[in-house]
Amino acid sequence: MSQSKGGRGGAAAKSKKGSKPGGEEKREAALQAVACLIADDFQTRFLPFSLDKPRCLLPLANTPLIEYTLEFLAMNDVKEVFIYCGAHYEQIERYIQNSRWLPIAQSSPFSVLEFIRVADARSEGDFLRDLDGRGIIGGDFLLVHGDLISNLSLEGALAAHRARREANRDSCMTMVLREAGEAEHHTKARTKSPIFIVDPRKNRCLHYEELNPFQADRYVDLDPTILENSEAEARIDLVDAQIDICTPDVLALWSESFDYELPRANFLHGVLKDWELNGKMIHTEIVTEGYSARATNLQMYDAISHDIVGGWAYPFTPDCNLLKGQTYQLRNDNIYQEDDVFVEDDAEAIDAVLGRDTHVGSKSIIQNSIIGRNCKIGSNVRIINSFIWDDVEIEDDAVIEHAIVADTTHIGRGVAVREGCLVSYGVRIGEKLDIGASTVLSLLSHSRSPLESQPKVVGPQGKGARFLYPEEDEAGAEDLERLENSLIYNLEQFDIETSSVSSLGDDGLSDDDSEAASTTPSQPTVRSRLSSFASDDSGAPNFSSFHADAVHGLLEVLRGSVGDFDSEKLEFTSLRLANNASDVAMRKAVATAFVRRAVELMNAESSGLDASKAAKETLTSREGASSFVADVGVGGDSVSEQLEFALAVQRACVSSTKVIEVGKAGNLLAAMLQQMYDLDVLEEDGLLAWWEDARGKEGEVMPVVRAKCQPLIEWLENAEEESDEDDDDSD
Amino acid sequence: MATQKGGYTPSLEKFLDSLKSRPVQASVELLISLLKRRQIKGSEACATATAHILLQVVARDKWTNVDQLLGRIQLIGRKLVAAQPHELATGNIVRRVLGLIRDEASEERNDATTDSPRPASPSLPAVSHASSPSKPARPPLLPSIGGSFARTQSMFNLLSDPNVILSTGSNASTPGQVSGASTPILNPQATNVSSLRSEVIDGIQEIMDEIKMVDEQVQTYADIFIHPGDYILVYQPSRTVQKFLTRAASKRKFTVFLVVDPSTTATSEGQYASLLKSMASNGSSVITVLNAGLMAYMSRVDKVILGARAITAQGGVVVDSGAAAIARAARERRRTVIVLGGVYKLSSESKLLSESQIEWGDPSKYVSFADGSLVSQVRVKNAVSEFLPADQVDTYITNLGAHAQENLHTIIADHYKEEDINFDLYGKAQR
Repeated sequence: MSQSKGGRGGAAAKSKKGSKPGGEEKREAALQAVACLIADDFQTRFLPFSLDKPRCLLPLANTPLIEYTLEFLAMNDVKEVFIYCGAHYEQIERYIQNSRWLPIAQSSPFSVLEFIRVADARSEGDFLRDLDGRGIIGGDFLLVHGDLISNLSLEGALAAHRARREANRDSCMTMVLREAGEAEHHTKARTKSPIFIVDPRKNRCLHYEELNPFQADRYVDLDPTILENSEAEARIDLVDAQIDICTPDVLALWSESFDYELPRANFLHGVLKDWELNGKMIHTEIVTEGYSARATNLQMYDAISHDIVGGWAYPFTPDCNLLKGQTYQLRNDNIYQEDDVFVEDDAEAIDAVLGRDTHVGSKSIIQNSIIGRNCKIGSNVRIINSFIWDDVEIEDDAVIEHAIVADTTHIGRGVAVREGCLVSYGVRIGEKLDIGASTVLSLLSHSRSPLESQPKVVGPQGKGARFLYPEEDEAGAEDLERLENSLIYNLEQFDIETSSVSSLGDDGLSDDDSEAASTTPSQPTVRSRLSSFASDDSGAPNFSSFHADAVHGLLEVLRGSVGDFDSEKLEFTSLRLANNASDVAMRKAVATAFVRRAVELMNAESSGLDASKAAKETLTSREGASSFVADVGVGGDSVSEQLEFALAVQRACVSSTKVIEVGKAGNLLAAMLQQMYDLDVLEEDGLLAWWEDARGKEGEVMPVVRAKCQPLIEWLENAEEESDEDDDDSD
Repeated sequence: MATQKGGYTPSLEKFLDSLKSRPVQASVELLISLLKRRQIKGSEACATATAHILLQVVARDKWTNVDQLLGRIQLIGRKLVAAQPHELATGNIVRRVLGLIRDEASEERNDATTDSPRPASPSLPAVSHASSPSKPARPPLLPSIGGSFARTQSMFNLLSDPNVILSTGSNASTPGQVSGASTPILNPQATNVSSLRSEVIDGIQEIMDEIKMVDEQVQTYADIFIHPGDYILVYQPSRTVQKFLTRAASKRKFTVFLVVDPSTTATSEGQYASLLKSMASNGSSVITVLNAGLMAYMSRVDKVILGARAITAQGGVVVDSGAAAIARAARERRRTVIVLGGVYKLSSESKLLSESQIEWGDPSKYVSFADGSLVSQVRVKNAVSEFLPADQVDTYITNLGAHAQENLHTIIADHYKEEDINFDLYGKAQR
């Protein structure tokens, strides 16, 4: 069906303007306002809460997310709704069956509300391809997700979409985007920032890209054809709530590309890139009024909750009482309170939402928090920036700061739940415990099997255990995953620069986490070959790619597969100049490459060498290796340069602990240094200075690895004394 | 957020158009969600919508006696009020309709007792026949619905016990509650259902006409209050205020200070165009003042005219946000403050605190949502409406004329029944 339509579309576009193509189509579109609502997007951002409940039923400001989405559809007079569910479809169906949205109930604004189950769907793409196969969509339709909160009126966007559609049958989709300023904004997606390249005169989207903080290269590759447009704007200031007005052509495009999974990263990016091929155009409608956002992860959940309490999504404030039976009223101090809430006189509540039958004990403080129904909050409790769902008991003197506490949990007397904690359904926390920042507690593991309680974490009477996130198969996605899963957006816990390297690294070896912090204090260098290009700015964007390329090149040579060190030296130098890499970066690259090679040798399956042999093999087996290290890696004779290089080797060894045991890494470090000493790459003074340097003792692993070098240093010191004695003797 | 007229977005007009084609219960639910989503807003729109929906309930729902009807109206009234508690006009119309039903019912009862003091059950056929001739006497404004339903209803009565009707009635949501509240089965009122129905329908029609006529009626008092050479200050004039000024301008020459909120200047140009035009054509002058420069003009002003969103029995007025400051400024300078509004805006509600009458809207009027640091760090509140205490108002002009604060009670007594005033529309039980 859709393909034949596509063909007709092409014909209409060619026909002359006067003949008014698509008149009948337009009428059809006006009559059928179909929304396709995707209630699940196959992501795990709401773990562990989404184990028991689908995301769209999780409460946001005490109203399930899907209510906001359906309200939004009703508000824009959508008549037919098709809901695609993935996990927990039975719960969503049951919820809708009992809600006011069912067309049988007279309260429903929809004439059709259907569930579509796709048994083997693995992505949103599968849903849309299924939708195409069913052929139930005849005209334009709206595509939204079940976690959308919006009060936008689509009037303007629809009119513009139709006008474009009539002018050119190839404009197949309009994305409705909300402007949110270029500065930091809590409602903007920070873990994956979308970049739209838009032709501002035609509102046509030319290119789409997503950036994340862990990305190595923070730039966007533009197709030269984009620059053929007379104007193009790169917009990073947009909140993309993924409200798409689509034509059936969109479904056809999905079907054509069977490997597309995500509507933005795959579909949008792909269709725009292949514009020359498919000729389809996608437009944007950038609005400056109204509110739209998707609760795609917990940080967005946090942000949207506060926007709703702050009235930004008006009329969708808690006192709008969307659900039947809700009785929120706005009181003084910005408290939305339901009936039968009891707050003791000397308790203090500011900027809060309190659900029915909740009791707040005396001297308790509730600030900027949302509390569900039937919660018992003891006296002297402090709840700040948090989300407490229904039926939670919090005993006296507890403190909860910026956490999510799910249904039917029990938090004992004097417990402190610190920032970023997630406490899942039914967990019981004993008395006087401190639940450290960003702890995730659950009764179930990610595979839904019950977890054994950990008395250390939740106390002897407690129930629940630390929740471990499923491992990501894609290398390098770990950090992003971790960031997306956490409630608090905090990049400090991650090391952006080095993790970006790990995403490019080939051996699963990644560099030490503390590196970025410790390399930033730039060392005054006396190196003569530092040309005016060089800078010690290790945060330069091209640094990471330099590192990856350099390490890779060196490894190849070390393995003996290509070239020799003379040519590698040339290559390395040109790479350095090309990338304007700093000394720090160079040292790091050389050290990393050599340590990696040594680790490779140690881990080789057939002939695992011990540390000293591996080090020797690495540094001597290839001609010119040691002189390369001396010239390029160390770069000079001064003590400070030797110190820096030894430190770089130590860091490389520390990061190798991800593939070998810490003890072995220590042995390796000792062996490498010994070997370099023997080869006159490093000298006594340099090594001793390294031994004294405080930076080598930072962190947890660094000192452990370093400790193994104790004998070497002692030996060196003795040797020194001996040589001193010798000197004395000779005098 | 502004909703546009026409097109896809639901609005009052579309709601009224769809009323007849939809089951009553569905219309009620639709109106509730429209009120919740603020797609119907403003006291006039809310009052009109409420009157229409109650008309549908009276005309099309199956009810067999007055108590049942009253219960039904009360139930729906509570739901509507709960959907948008800040619009007092909704509750006012509900109370007006309740009072109307009581009036008509007692009239009927008097008729029944004087004319035919007969036992109820044998008289059923006779009465239903007797009632039909009486109908043409009234102007049947909704002949298709009112007439046909009334007839089927009375025919239905012939064959069935009222109790059965109760349980099969279309008010499926709460038949139990209504029947619990209603009076015994053999109620003589049941016989008069059809005539009562048309009486009540006529009454509601009158209320609807009254709402429509408010502007016309209020403006007739314009030349009494505006004198030649006056300096009048208005704030974001509603249609009522604009018409009032236009009417006065047709007879006198005076000066209007048009105070506009800076945040709405962009949209206000078109909004007040007709006012400016008609004022200019009659030789009166209009000076547009931004809110900030207000106090400087107050010494020149003779009268301040404000449009009311609602008026409470004690004389307090709910006004557009920003008007309270103007009234206070006028009070400082001892200027006259005149409030315009239809009688339907006059609310008997006395329990409510002034604070809770303030509706807080979307802060993006003052702070752009794009300003990330402000949005996340600062709580911005934007009042949609404000409460003006009674002592800051001198005169109230309604479609019935000018009133002093003391007279408001008598108007309320004229329009609402005491039992309805005491009826708690804001009760939590029904929500």
